[in-house]
Amino acid sequence: MNKRTTGLIILEVILVVLALMFLFPLFLMVINSFKTLGEVLRDVLALPKSPSFANFIFVWKYVRYPRLFLNNVIITVIGIVGIVIFSSIAAYMQSRYKSKFSTFLYFFCVMPMLIPFQTIMITVLKLMSSIKLTGSTWGLGIQYWGFGIPLAVFIYHGFVKMIPREIDESAMVDGATTLRTYFQVIFPLLRPVSTTIIVIDVMWIWNDFLLPLLMVNSSKSTQTLTLAAYGFIGQYNTDWQYAMAAMVMAVMPSVIFFVIMQKDIVKGVVVGAVKA
Amino acid sequence: MNGMKRSSRLKLEFSLFNLPAVIFVSLSIYIPFVMSMYFSLTEWNGISKSAKFVGLDNFIKLFSGDKDFVQAAWFTFRYSVLFIILINFLALLLAVQLDKKLKTANILRAAFFVPYIMSLVIVGFIWRFIFSQGFNELLDKTGWAIFELSWLGDPKLSFWSVLLVSIWQSIGFYIVIYIAGLQSIPTELPEAAIVDGANRRQTFFHITLPMLAPSLTTAFFMALVNSIKIFDIIFSLTGGGPGGSTYSITFDIYVEAFQNNNYGYGTAKALVLFLAVLAITTIQLKYFKSREVEI
Repeated sequence: MNKRTTGLIILEVILVVLALMFLFPLFLMVINSFKTLGEVLRDVLALPKSPSFANFIFVWKYVRYPRLFLNNVIITVIGIVGIVIFSSIAAYMQSRYKSKFSTFLYFFCVMPMLIPFQTIMITVLKLMSSIKLTGSTWGLGIQYWGFGIPLAVFIYHGFVKMIPREIDESAMVDGATTLRTYFQVIFPLLRPVSTTIIVIDVMWIWNDFLLPLLMVNSSKSTQTLTLAAYGFIGQYNTDWQYAMAAMVMAVMPSVIFFVIMQKDIVKGVVVGAVKA
Repeated sequence: MNGMKRSSRLKLEFSLFNLPAVIFVSLSIYIPFVMSMYFSLTEWNGISKSAKFVGLDNFIKLFSGDKDFVQAAWFTFRYSVLFIILINFLALLLAVQLDKKLKTANILRAAFFVPYIMSLVIVGFIWRFIFSQGFNELLDKTGWAIFELSWLGDPKLSFWSVLLVSIWQSIGFYIVIYIAGLQSIPTELPEAAIVDGANRRQTFFHITLPMLAPSLTTAFFMALVNSIKIFDIIFSLTGGGPGGSTYSITFDIYVEAFQNNNYGYGTAKALVLFLAVLAITTIQLKYFKSREVEI
């Protein structure tokens, strides 16, 4: 027994060292964001002598951080509200009413999970610019509906099956319309799945790069955090201190989100992956 | 009469509530997909209004040996194979350790997961900094030869850099999947095996691993799908270089369409990629599912 505990302690030490090495690049990013360029070039590994927020202030002003943050929020919120409402109601209908047409609709909604975005990106851009959904944050948010619905319908569909029919039937008998039954009875019951879907989609939409690059990169007023960080770093690629500060600022919201939602994120990741 | 009225009302409601999902999936995916089929048969620079119909010319050009595409396909193939094997091996190894009764288990799991929540493009930049500035300094401090190598400047090494950074970014995700799988195995099973005299290795290979089959299917599938699509990290880490050595298929499609303005040809490449992905994932899922049943 004793031998076993010693083994565990050694294992634990090894794993902690490994984790520290694993996180070392992030550590370097953070410490260098507080240095001057001279300090960065002199010794990347050294801690900043007199930590200063000067780099952050420079980036904040240069990229108009609050505006970018707001853009990210608008895109993510519009995207997620649409995905959650349209997917849950469609999945509810498809799961409750059995017919060939219903099964067809289910597969119609779910099949696109097999189509990688990169294989259609060229024509997505053409279509979206011809119907004027490019160049605006709300337009990009709407585009995410179609890309997010397949996985969401899939997850909701599996969950609605587990809600007993008697629940909606008794609401209907009391004279509630389908829409009211759905919003007052079913949707609240779907809360755990909705949380899962929201978490998966926040991580996806907030950090997404390629779709925003194609759709909203042309103007500074519609860019996202990641796009601005990308553009900024391209421009200041030798001013490492600014680049590091820009990256810390781009990554910060996700890290805070992770710290708050850790349990839900981990659960969401597992549920989202098991779709396979 | 009343009943009929009700049933037609239900039908109407059914269609109405499915309509938004159907419309938006069509808008973002089905319509572009159908358009892709058409534009793959055209020569089109993306700017002029009309695309010139050229039949199967794009596909003929593609299959009669487009050097860029072949190179990108070969890169993607080598990358995918190594990524799938390495990430699953490492993630499983770490998951088994992190599933043990450690005091810091939760913090350690979170630590390995952190890069996964970050934007891939940013991850690529962080590592560009590490490979250039960080490694210089580490070389000065340690004198180790691995820090002297040009990890982004040498075509052979840049392949490994892309692989390393991708694994670093997403290993937390695979660890989480395997830990979830390990926790769903009833503890009595491995314990009983050990009581029956099996050693740890036998227990792992004959009890734990087979019980993990669903997690293995999931993790291999995700690794496959994600590695074929690799794009963002290349975009920010190597930009496809040096000398085009780290072009993946998706990156090649991007460059073909949005930098060379060969939209028609790019669409043809994209369609070929779609068919390849569809074929490979179907085969892989069938194979793994059939193994699951056997066990």
